[in-house]
Amino acid sequence: MEGKYSSRTQLKGNFFDLHVHANPELVKEAERLGFAGVSLTYDFDNYKSNFEEFKEIEKNSNILIKKCLEISCKNPEELKKKVQKSRKKSDIVMVRGGDLKINRAVCEYRGVDILSQPYRGRKDTGINHVLARKAAENDVAIEINLNTFLKTNLRYRYRIISQYRHIIELKRKYKFPLIFASNASTKYELRNPQDIFALSHCFGMTMEESFDAVSTIPEHIIEKNDKRDSFIMDGVRTI
Amino acid sequence: MISMNQKLKILPPTIRDKKRYIAFEVIFQGNLVREDIIGMILDASLYLYGACGTGKFDIWVVKLWNCSKAEYPNNSNNEKKIKGILRCRREEVDSVMAIIPTITKFRGKNVVFHTLGISGTIKSATKNFIKL
Repeated sequence: MEGKYSSRTQLKGNFFDLHVHANPELVKEAERLGFAGVSLTYDFDNYKSNFEEFKEIEKNSNILIKKCLEISCKNPEELKKKVQKSRKKSDIVMVRGGDLKINRAVCEYRGVDILSQPYRGRKDTGINHVLARKAAENDVAIEINLNTFLKTNLRYRYRIISQYRHIIELKRKYKFPLIFASNASTKYELRNPQDIFALSHCFGMTMEESFDAVSTIPEHIIEKNDKRDSFIMDGVRTI
Repeated sequence: MISMNQKLKILPPTIRDKKRYIAFEVIFQGNLVREDIIGMILDASLYLYGACGTGKFDIWVVKLWNCSKAEYPNNSNNEKKIKGILRCRREEVDSVMAIIPTITKFRGKNVVFHTLGISGTIKSATKNFIKL
């Protein structure tokens, strides 16, 4: 997997975007751009399922569609309640970060799959060595949201790149799962996997790391959640 | 006296810079001309790498094609799709590819660029990625 990003032979794999807004047009566009699967994100507080419509689309196409609930909360107690409720409704549970207490609670809680944008509204990265270690222990993925980078004013993009670089440095040391997601609500916000690799080069990621962030780790999250019901405890599951 | 029309002799292939051709597509609600696309790519490059970085790339838009509606069935809201080929130095192709996804707005409207592929010649880029 080492070498240049531009080499086409390295781009074979199943690519996933785990943060896409529920819009049939977006699903079709994601398939056209070469994604093998998307996870449609619904807000927990305004949750109205129109997922049946997407099941029809999934039948008529080659794209895998999963349901994800994005939780935003004010304190760790509220977080646990909301996660337990949303586990029954969705395949993947994502928590919107930004607040340090929430970031910490999420990294320490195995029930959450993804911590979205820990740097949201902050000048620092929102995670440090302690949270990074906890996230790695509990298999909580940290999401780097490309929409934050693309929507930020051109003058301030350097700050976002700097935040991403720090997260990537922590990832290298503590080996927590890291994913790239688009948070796209229109098709103008979707980027194809090849472009995501090129962007990750700007953030200082190697080809192998960016491939993992778009393909291997999202696939692992989906597989883990498919088997979640059969888990009894760590390392034990019913067959 | 040297006339202004006199051209320099072309460098031998061993001394010439090696090029790569990046095929791309643009989706935009409205009309785009060649100068708009060149401007967008150069501005994005200047914001991402500055004058010093952009100077190393030898970046240029070689050719553009307007796509008909039949080739773009998901078309809605008066969108237009244009495919094109971007030239750059072989050593800088990774950096140039990172410019393409950073373009998000043009004249207050959304615009999106997608990379289609990279090739060593214009001919093969047209054949493999533009496919018109």
